[in-house]
This record gives sequence, structure tokens and C-alpha cells, in this order.
Amino acid sequence: MKVLIVEDEKTLAYEMEDFLKKAFYICDLAHNISDGLEKISANSYDFILLDLGLPDGDGLTLLPKAKKHNPDAAYIILTARGNLEDRIAGLDLGADDYLPKPFSLLELQSRMQAIARRKFNLKEELLPLGDFKLDLQKRLIFFNGQQIELSRKEFDILSYLFLHSNRVLTRMQLSEHIWGTFADDDYDSNYIDAHIKNIRKKLNAWAATNFLETVRGVGYRIKK
Amino acid sequence: MKLSAKLILFITSSKLAVVLLFVISLPFLVNGIVSEYISYSLRLQQDKVIRIIHKNGINYYLQGDNNYGSYTMLKEEYIALEPSTANTRIDTIKTAKRLVERDTLNYRILMHTFNYEGKNYLLEIGKTTSSINQYNKPLQRLALYVLMGLIALSLLFDLLFTRALIRPLGKIIKSKLIDRKFPFKNHPAPIRTSTYDFKYLDESLILLMEQINEAFEKEREFTANASHELMTPISILQNKMENLIGDEQLNEEAVVKIADMMKTLDRLKKISRSLLLISRIENEQFAKSDSLKPAALIREVLDEISHRLEEKNLDISVQLNDQVLLKGVNHDLLFQLFYNLINNAIKYNVPAGNITITDQEISQNSYLITIQDTGIGIAAEELPFIFDRFRKANLKENVGYGLGLSIVKSIAAYHNITIKVSSTLQKGSTFKLYFKLK
Repeated sequence: MKVLIVEDEKTLAYEMEDFLKKAFYICDLAHNISDGLEKISANSYDFILLDLGLPDGDGLTLLPKAKKHNPDAAYIILTARGNLEDRIAGLDLGADDYLPKPFSLLELQSRMQAIARRKFNLKEELLPLGDFKLDLQKRLIFFNGQQIELSRKEFDILSYLFLHSNRVLTRMQLSEHIWGTFADDDYDSNYIDAHIKNIRKKLNAWAATNFLETVRGVGYRIKK
Repeated sequence: MKLSAKLILFITSSKLAVVLLFVISLPFLVNGIVSEYISYSLRLQQDKVIRIIHKNGINYYLQGDNNYGSYTMLKEEYIALEPSTANTRIDTIKTAKRLVERDTLNYRILMHTFNYEGKNYLLEIGKTTSSINQYNKPLQRLALYVLMGLIALSLLFDLLFTRALIRPLGKIIKSKLIDRKFPFKNHPAPIRTSTYDFKYLDESLILLMEQINEAFEKEREFTANASHELMTPISILQNKMENLIGDEQLNEEAVVKIADMMKTLDRLKKISRSLLLISRIENEQFAKSDSLKPAALIREVLDEISHRLEEKNLDISVQLNDQVLLKGVNHDLLFQLFYNLINNAIKYNVPAGNITITDQEISQNSYLITIQDTGIGIAAEELPFIFDRFRKANLKENVGYGLGLSIVKSIAAYHNITIKVSSTLQKGSTFKLYFKLK
């Protein structure tokens, strides 16, 4: 997948590039609107990550022009402006998603995966997780064709860990993904532990859950 | 008491006191005046007698007798003329008793000795004092009536004048002080008055309001800008750490340290977000166009938060009227408000404690939701400050960042919700939310 990152904050752009490269995306960088437009007219991208506050104008102005050249790309707006109006304006102009800064790279990747599944009609099959099978679309988990009941939050945590397999996710990262940014200013990350305990208990009734590892002092990881 | 009432009361009572004093002292005054007048008329009569004697001779009175005496029918006045043996000259007016035809009466008496053709004579002219007193009562009564009339009239003028005088003050209070909601959005016009003091007061108040507005605006701008500007550096740091922690070659110790750093960064992020949220609420960037049932909203909150209840083994009882509908509100903000309050009720509760959420329709347009917990409570001296930003209560180590309740306050102010808090240490806290139903 080819990604264009339009972000004037270079350090941030490099970190995103670094992360996405590891996830096997091919990245191009642009630091202003004109540079971005030039790259969009010359290449075809699957994803365009667009910052709004750019030195030569508002990123939103780039959106309609970019869509002309590259109608099939998925657009994700990244901005420190979290206003409802901005969000609506961005989505109205045809953006696929909206991520307020500061965001987690994992969150960005999850959103990109979600858009890819939806937009690019990737065939979703049952994905293997140990002896279990996951249906991310329908949000179900099976053992030998038998459906296992997980609560909404439990499935969220499990699928998030699954999407970022082999990577340690801190409790904070999980918690932010599950509860979002709006809920509370001082949640207690023990709740993640409680949920993991429940997930293990429910799954262990069917098969071993060695794939779900606790990383001491840091968080959790699903090993594939 | 209002200033005008006080003024009128003072004016009335001071006038009444003066009148009372006057009426009480009236008999003495009348006495004084009347006796002055009598002395004066006695002297006139004396002059007349002396003049007659000089003109017509002493025999005009004595008519051959040794002495002369005459009095009016009711013995109110008398005149006596007799030779005087004493060599001393007397010329006085005094009050004394005289026996006139078996009646002993009090007289004001003029005694005057004079020499006529080598002989000394004593002239006495008397007037009864009772004739003096006869003026007193009617005078007093008349004075009382006239004074009362004058007082009533002057009070009326006073009342009208003070009212006119004080009216600008009332206007200032009404337009500048009563029901002023901060920040002051509409700039009230200056009051028209010719009283310098009121003009000065009014101008000072307007200036003060403008200064407060400006300061508030600056603070609001600062909060918005600061928290906004923090987002990009936090974003950079977060992404760098995420990339670092994903590095397979990193040893375990370093990973734990980075995870710790991420925790701190996360805190910074949440503080900035909370401040930004508060500033957005204060800048009215949220639409208030939702209608919702509080009962349903609180069910939503509890869905989200129920795992925390289980963990602490808390019992929650929710008794809400499913019919009540709040209109013109923002769903997300009210969700946040109840989330924060219920979350606090859980966080500061004791194991196996209780939380009770009840409601009450106070009147046609007033609705109350009460959230009560059996938690550790808030100390009385802390209570006034719990909604202040960054104010940390000295509760355990499990304290927040001091913004949860600030957010509650902003949301409540934005929705015209009045919050009242009561709390007893070790017993629990009660939050009462008064909604206005439209």
C-alpha cells in the first residue's frame, strides 16, 4: 500500500513514516500543500494522511483537488483541531476518517486497516488466533465453529491486540483505543488487566491462550 | 433595607422628633412670649396712667380719697394707686398673690413708685396669670395641626425627591449587578444621571466589567492556545515512543522505562485535552440541539463504567423517572458530566459501598437529579474549591488531575444546571443537579 503523508511538522512525519514502513507501507512525504498536490498529480496513492494546519494554507483546501487526481485513495485527516465543525467539514469534503492529534500510531494503523477492509473490499475471512478464529467484520470469535461470548470491550481489546500482533501494547494504548479520548481524565489502567483476565478465563475454557502474553511492567502482546 | 426606605425612615423620624420637641416645649415658649407681652402691655398702661396724672392731676384718680383701686369684673386686671411711705424707689414687674375681694389670685404685677408734687405714690397694675395660660392650649393645638400638615407635605416632597434622586442607583443595580452572568456578554449602556457620584459608580462598574471580560477572554484564549499548541509536540513524543517500544532489539528494562514515559506523556495529553475541552465548552463550540432522557443517559454511562463497580464490589441503585425529557442539550457533554460524577462516586467510594441516583420533579420547570455515595467524603474546607482547576483534594494517593470536576462545572454552566454539593467526611458526598426544563 502506498501512503502520502502531508504534514509540515517534519519530526512527526518521519515518525509516521518510520512506523508505517515497518508495517510494510510505502511512504512519500510532503510538507506543504503545493508539494502535496504535485506528488498527488504525479503518483497514485492508497492512503493520503492530511494535516490541516499547513504553512501555505488549510489542508482542507487540498482535499477536493486531490480527490480529482486520486479519487480512489482513502483520506485520513490528522489535526490538532478537534472541533466538531472541522470534523464535519473534513468528512463532508470526502475524507474517510478523522484523527485528532495527538494520536497513537497504532490507532492510525487500525483506522487504515479498517478503511482498507471497507474501501478496498478486502476479503475478510476467519483469521486464525491460536486455536481460535476471529471474524473482525462481524466481531465474533469461534472455537471449532462454536461461537464464544465475549463482551464488546473484551472483543475490542482482543482484536486490537490481534491487529498489532507481535507488538507490545501498553495498558494506556489499549485503554485509549477502547475508551477513546472523551471519557475521563484519569482512568485507572487496572481495568485493562481485569478485562484481559476475563478474556483469558473465557477462552481458556475452550483452549490454551499462550498467544496472549503479559509483558511485565509494560502491557500485553499477541504472539503469532 | 433599601437605601430609599432607609432615607425616608430617617427623615420621617427626625422630623417627628423635632416636632415632638417643639410641642413639648410649646407651653414654656407660650409662657415666655405671653409674659413678655404682658410686661410690655403693663408698661404701656403704666405710661398711660402716668401721662394722665401729669395731665389731669393725681386727683383724677384719687378724687379726694387717700387711695384708688379698680378692677375688672372677673378680677382679671386691677389697678391700685396709693401714697407710698417708703423712700426707696420701686420699679419692677413680678408675680405675686393679691387678695381682691376675698379672692386670692396670682397676678403678674407691675409696681412703680413715683413722685408727684412732693409726695411719693405707689402704682400697681396687675393681670391674672390664668389669663396668660388661657392662650396655651389652643396655641399648642393649632401649632400641632399646622406642623402635622407641614410634615405630611414635606414628607411627600422628600419621598418624591429621594425617589427621583436615587432612581439612577436602582438602575445601576438592576442593569449592572443583579443577575449578571459571567462573562458579561451584552455591554449595558451608561445610566443617564446628573449626580456625579452615580455617574462615577456607573462608569467604574462598566470599566470593571470590561476589564473582567478582557481578563477572562485572555485566559480563555491562553487555555485554548496553550492546550492546542501542546498537541503537536505531544504527538511527536508519543509517536517516537511508540516507534521505540516496538523495536525488537530493545532490552526489557528500556521497554519498561519507555512504557513509564508513555504513561507520563499520556497524563500530559489528558490534561491538555481536558483543558481544550473546557475552553471549547466555554467558547460554546458544542451544539445544544439534542433531546434526551436522563434515565437513558445514565444507563449509557453505567454500561460504560459498570466494570469499575464490580471491581470495587459497589452497589448502585438508580431510580429515575423514565418520562423526563431534557431538551436543547448536548448529549456528549451531559454524558461526560454524568460519567465524571459517577466515576468520582466510584473512585472515592469504600469497598462494598453504595451509590444512589434519584430524581425529583421540583416544579413545572425544575428537575433535580441527586447522586449520592458512601465514599470517603470531602472535608468542609475543601468543599468550596472542588470545582477549581488543578485543585487537588488531600485524598489518598488515588487523586485525579483536578480537571474532572472542572469539566463538570463548565458543562453545567453551559447547560444552566445548578450544582449543589454536600459532604461528610467518611460518610460520603451528595451532588445535586438542578435542571431547568423548558
